[in-house]
Amino acid sequence: MIRRAAVPVLLVAIAFPAMGRCQTATLYGTVRDSATGAPLEAVRITLPGVRTVAMTNAAGRYRFEGVPAGQVLVSVQRFGYTPRADSVQVPVRDSLRVDFVLAANAYYLAPVIVTAGKRSQLVDRVVASVVVIPDSEIARRAVTTIDEAVDKAPGVQFLGGQINIRGSSGFEQGLGSRVLLLVDGVPANQGDRGGIDWDLIPVDQVQRVEIVKGAGSSLYGSAALGGIVNLITPDIPDGAHGRIRAVGGTFAPPPHSIWEFRDARGALERLDVSGSYGGDALRAAIAAGGWHSDGYRQQDSSDTWELSGRGDWYPSQSNRLHFLASWVSHQYEDPLRWCEFGRCPGDSGLAYQPFLIDTAVAGAFTRSDKGLFAATFEHRPSETASSWLARGSWLRTDFTDIRRPTGEYGVSNREGLELRGELESASNPGRVVTVGTELTRSDVTSDAFGIHAEGAYAAYAEGEQPLGAAPVRVTAGARVDLLNVDGGDISAVVSPRIGAVVPKGRLVWRASAGRGFRAPSLAERFVQTSLAGITVIPNPDLVPESAWSFELGNFAQVASRLTTDVALFWTEASNLIEPSVANGAEIQFRNVTRARLAGVDAALAFFPFTQRLGLKLAYTLLYAEQLAHDTVPEQPLAFRPRHLVTAAADYRLGRFTAGGDFRFMSRYERVELYPPSDPILAPKVLDLRARYDTGMLSVLLRAQNVLNYIYNLVPQQLAPVRAVSVTATVSY
Amino acid sequence: MRPRSLPFLLVVAACNGGLEPTNALTTCPGGLVGICGTVTFRGRVPDSTAGVYIVAYSTFPQAADDLLNFKPFPPPSLPLPGDTTTFYSVALPNGRYEWIVAAWVKQGALSPASADSLIYEAGFYRDGGDTTSHGTGIVVVNGTGTDSINIIVDFDTMHPISYYFPTP
Repeated sequence: MIRRAAVPVLLVAIAFPAMGRCQTATLYGTVRDSATGAPLEAVRITLPGVRTVAMTNAAGRYRFEGVPAGQVLVSVQRFGYTPRADSVQVPVRDSLRVDFVLAANAYYLAPVIVTAGKRSQLVDRVVASVVVIPDSEIARRAVTTIDEAVDKAPGVQFLGGQINIRGSSGFEQGLGSRVLLLVDGVPANQGDRGGIDWDLIPVDQVQRVEIVKGAGSSLYGSAALGGIVNLITPDIPDGAHGRIRAVGGTFAPPPHSIWEFRDARGALERLDVSGSYGGDALRAAIAAGGWHSDGYRQQDSSDTWELSGRGDWYPSQSNRLHFLASWVSHQYEDPLRWCEFGRCPGDSGLAYQPFLIDTAVAGAFTRSDKGLFAATFEHRPSETASSWLARGSWLRTDFTDIRRPTGEYGVSNREGLELRGELESASNPGRVVTVGTELTRSDVTSDAFGIHAEGAYAAYAEGEQPLGAAPVRVTAGARVDLLNVDGGDISAVVSPRIGAVVPKGRLVWRASAGRGFRAPSLAERFVQTSLAGITVIPNPDLVPESAWSFELGNFAQVASRLTTDVALFWTEASNLIEPSVANGAEIQFRNVTRARLAGVDAALAFFPFTQRLGLKLAYTLLYAEQLAHDTVPEQPLAFRPRHLVTAAADYRLGRFTAGGDFRFMSRYERVELYPPSDPILAPKVLDLRARYDTGMLSVLLRAQNVLNYIYNLVPQQLAPVRAVSVTATVSY
Repeated sequence: MRPRSLPFLLVVAACNGGLEPTNALTTCPGGLVGICGTVTFRGRVPDSTAGVYIVAYSTFPQAADDLLNFKPFPPPSLPLPGDTTTFYSVALPNGRYEWIVAAWVKQGALSPASADSLIYEAGFYRDGGDTTSHGTGIVVVNGTGTDSINIIVDFDTMHPISYYFPTP
């Protein structure tokens, strides 16, 4: 994580002269890179005190209409650059051009984040470890779904589509994520399985991702056991904007002829369009697209269609109604497990054929449709006054699995309501209290999970209090969740958190202790199915998992071009839900495991030779132990690597940028369900990219797993091989 | 280390060590704690087959309640190629096992109540010149893979496990 020791306060209050709407003017200009002179896209231009916001286009241009005449403060921000603010005199009924030049710096993090405290906070006041993936990083990598970008964050790892933050989840077949997904602050884990659909929001609709590590249930409740991922959609800029993006690519063939399984290379194609319009009172954006992939192995093709929209209505200066709607249909073949010897035609006498599929799972296919609708009403008189918001949300997932001999289906809904207030003390500047209440209801109708519903009713409060002259900031709060399943007994879960931030010159120390929990998903409680003759039976008596997380962290601005962030973490978990043997020959989810996850997270960002070259390195050391219980001795938790290393580099020269990502993880110390013939590897994966921008057009060449390292992270599932793609984007 | 050598080292580090074509096992893989051997299939595979599994009983099952006291659970299933011989390996905890059996499992919901009607013995490990009806081959697993635990599976001559229970 990269944090800032001192963030310039740009959003100073500005008083506009009282004047009528006729006394307005036009403000426009360009924003360029100080080193290269290249225009900068996606720079956020705001006029503090006014709700107006604009984003620069590919030519670096921005424009405001109807700016009140008089003295106006213009704030300019972009990730990876030092923010600027200028005060300008806007003439009446005229146009004023104001150009800006931004200098790149070592700070990769936005100065303000919104997830850690359920409110806007300067990042050096947050008691937890936070990673921010800005839009510039998402764009540089040209990812298809947002998990591809999240996977590059320090201390984060994906196993079979399941996110791990500091080893939180391991590999649980997608059930019961111990990480909470938010979309603009709205909880969006599935209502039935508790897992995460990473394609829920089109990647173009994500402006940045905030990742909070460690237990976060004191504000967010269930599932925030190991951390929180918040996908934040962008502001809609003034005026009309549009974009068309086309992607074409191909997968590398197997590196050994004995593994070949088709005559042609697999292809991938994508096309999407988006448009937006921002006016004084109304703003709206819409995006639609689809993509197809042949896949890189047998039985691996997929098609996806997506449609999303966002809008804002400002009935007055201090009120805003924001809505978000998204629908995605993903239809894909399921390469459930590769072919072991004797399990498919064409095994060629090999122990395993990673590109071929076990005959027993041939024809497996899934259709997964999902939709999210959320509406939020905010009342915020000014940046420093008390405010409140109310929101409602509806998440629906609908899946159909086609398997042999029979398939499964499930329809699930998750509805949520929240009322939240942010109270600022007039007599004690810096004291902030956040209070709120939440109501969540989930239901499922499925042949495997039955028909069930659960509710959660919660209230929370957290306060921040500055102490002393060099302000030590203390944060404390708690949340109470009342849980109910199918109208039965109500159980209560209390999740407190306390923490402090202590600035010391170029250092910022932080410490926190908090409790997290995860309520059992409806699927874990009520699943009743048969897998290859083995019966899975329900367990309605499951209780929530819980964990205490402790963290001591330090951010340091070592030099103008070097920042570091180090955190020691320690988590004690109990009642973890794991599949267990019941009655000798049945499987049942049970609260069995006590576990300890401890280690070190370290990251640094620097410009070693020139501002044109930025480097980031991150390392996570993890000790993950399942503690002794019943007859099971203490042993390593399955699917947790001891060492995880990520490195990223980006070089900019004029309109040209190039970069890459490297990732290494050590071998698992323990696995489950691996066939004896299946080797356990220490994967090393290198991605490269190059981009050229000219006017409204940008072209990006991307090579994933460029060395074509053949590996797997979960049993009998080949990880992606080398893929080369070209992305062309035209923006207006 | 000079900083400029870092990209080179990253490339070199990623250049090897991935999955490679590997011939099917004919001996116990290194690191396995359990048993290995061959399974020779005879007869026609029934249409109602859910799977065939190699399982190990620490003590010979004496009654229906013992049927599910085998290891490992869940057991890995065997491929069903027809009249062929295939190599298998099964991870087992260290210990002494009185009966290593190839269990044919019929399609259906397996539970303690249905075990005797869904699980059939399709073959078992015989030690040398053992000619007893249920076999006397005792296998000891002690930290490594115990090899040559060979089994003949005959789909035409299968018995419910209770067939072998001693007469009360």
